[in-house]
Amino acid sequence: MITQSSFNSSAATDSRETTVRILVICLILLLAILHQDWWWWEAKEPLVFGFMPIGLAWHAGISLAAGLVGLVAVMFCWPDHLDDEEEEEAVAKTGKEEAS
Amino acid sequence: MSFTIILCYLSLLLFLGVFAGRLLKKSSGDFFLASRGIGPFMLLMSVFGTTMTAFALIGSTGKTFEFGIGVYGLMASWSGIIHAAIFFLIGAKVWALGKKHGYVTQLSYFRDRYQSDGLVLLLFPLVVCFVILYLLIGVIGAGRFIEGVTPETFSRSEATATAPLAMAPADLKIHPDWKARMSVKDGKLSVTGSLHPKRKGLFMGFSKAPEWKKAVGALMAVDKKTKKANYESGAVPKWAGMAIVCLVVLFYVFFGGMRATAWANTMQTIVFMVMGLIAFYVITDALGGPKAASEKLLANEAKNSVMARESLIGTWQFLTYCFIPLSVGMFPHLFQHWLTAKKASNFKLTVVAHPICILITWVPCVLLGMWAFGILPDGTNPNAVLGMMVSRYSGEVLAGLIGAGVLAAIMSSMDSQFLCLSSLFTNDIVSHHFGKNAISDEKKILLGRGFVVLIVLVCYLIGLSNTQSVFDLGVWCFTGFAGLFPILVAALYWKRSNKQGAIAGVLTLAVLETAGYLLSLSVHEGEFLILGMMPVAFIVTITTAVMVIVTLLTPPPSDELVEKFFPAKN
Repeated sequence: MITQSSFNSSAATDSRETTVRILVICLILLLAILHQDWWWWEAKEPLVFGFMPIGLAWHAGISLAAGLVGLVAVMFCWPDHLDDEEEEEAVAKTGKEEAS
Repeated sequence: MSFTIILCYLSLLLFLGVFAGRLLKKSSGDFFLASRGIGPFMLLMSVFGTTMTAFALIGSTGKTFEFGIGVYGLMASWSGIIHAAIFFLIGAKVWALGKKHGYVTQLSYFRDRYQSDGLVLLLFPLVVCFVILYLLIGVIGAGRFIEGVTPETFSRSEATATAPLAMAPADLKIHPDWKARMSVKDGKLSVTGSLHPKRKGLFMGFSKAPEWKKAVGALMAVDKKTKKANYESGAVPKWAGMAIVCLVVLFYVFFGGMRATAWANTMQTIVFMVMGLIAFYVITDALGGPKAASEKLLANEAKNSVMARESLIGTWQFLTYCFIPLSVGMFPHLFQHWLTAKKASNFKLTVVAHPICILITWVPCVLLGMWAFGILPDGTNPNAVLGMMVSRYSGEVLAGLIGAGVLAAIMSSMDSQFLCLSSLFTNDIVSHHFGKNAISDEKKILLGRGFVVLIVLVCYLIGLSNTQSVFDLGVWCFTGFAGLFPILVAALYWKRSNKQGAIAGVLTLAVLETAGYLLSLSVHEGEFLILGMMPVAFIVTITTAVMVIVTLLTPPPSDELVEKFFPAKN
């Protein structure tokens, strides 16, 4: 039975998930924009950590940032229902087998 | 020594194949999809190993030598962003559909989604053709690589290389190790037995006389037209290297199916990542540390251009390269790997760690390529850069280990591709046309194994023939897969998409791909670009536009079909 409070809580969760999803999409777009770093195009220096040209260090940072955006995405907007559906089907299958 | 280490590594793979074969259950689901039981770590390693080829080690170093550090942004960081997004948005969804409807291959999904055998008959030759081209790059690359890293493996005492030498120089001091094999008489310089090209520097040091340098140059010459050397390298020939690699991969795929492939991929991915790091450490140490190497290059005004992108890579080329990593979404062998996951949540690790794995593999190789530009002579073959740095700054043992690492990167893609082609033939052609229940599970495994043997044989025979044109054509397989990607996105996310739109998209791709390849033949130097942009950008855009327009002009799919693939949420 769906009560008013559980309905409100579910709506709030949906709204938060939508916000995070939009945030993740914005972060991916931001990464794509930052990837086109024309401001470092001619730069050989500074050497980050004393050996990595800035253009290379910037893109290594983009790879790290892509991993972090991935982390935010899997933590806050992972489609959990995919595994839930799987479990529900398995339970239903077991139930049918037991009944027969 | 290098060849011995490589042989030891290949033997390890054979052992793994036998072990996985013992665990094989007698079901086609186990042979083609490892019973959909792969965990998060193995999924990450399989997926990463499958998307990375020898290019990750040899190509990245060589391309940086040619085009500077921008190669990382062009090929690696774009891939980090786009691959991870594809695994998140496409991989997990494909897995769920595959599990729900029992798909084994990409084409079985398309057939069901669009209810069209015609679409599959169009896609099948295209996909098979692209995968075979991709495979051939690996097979030929492995043969060439083994030939390159195994010089003087076989001592050919009967072989003699000679060059004219007018008179013996007065200061000639032949190293004692070479006295038995080198002779100077009757106006000729002769060396018996196998020779490595790197001996040239050693021989040059035997005398300062110009006629001696000329004679050594002629002795070690390679005919530019025929590419035939004056000397016998004693290396494992290309045909034998290709045969060895094909047989090893065939062995473990044949006996262990997808389970052996996933295990082998996991091991091979770890091997090539670790070997890349070891090579980086040893070479960097020999160069006096990373700081000293970079500072020395920076101080060299004539060579430090590789530390930036100006005049080496165009801004539009850099931007439009983002279309190439889309190809990963349509790789049928990767699609099959996705279906092997035990749970959808197993994709989480792959989404997060894939860009980091790219970083770990590519940054050291890009740095090596950058430093090599300041060290090696101009005109060095880019594909030989990593090998030359390894042989110059380390011993034979490391050269052998790096060799094993490069072969690991090649084979970790080849095995999945062999298995995937076998799955496509068995499931989408034979099984589909004879009826699902007409062929028993055991017969399906038998058929699958038979097709693996056939495909390996076909690839090997093509690999023996005209290799350069196959290589040139192979580059276009990535463009082709990227051009098909919009059709997969539409199938997964656009309820209105229909078979007419998908067929129109595939036909457009086929026409544009052929036209693009023919146009590229007119370009003899550098990358083929259109208005400074990658051709794939135009191909993906036009294919998408045609697919959308045709879809909107034709009837929508039935409600029943929409409900099957886009069920309403309760």
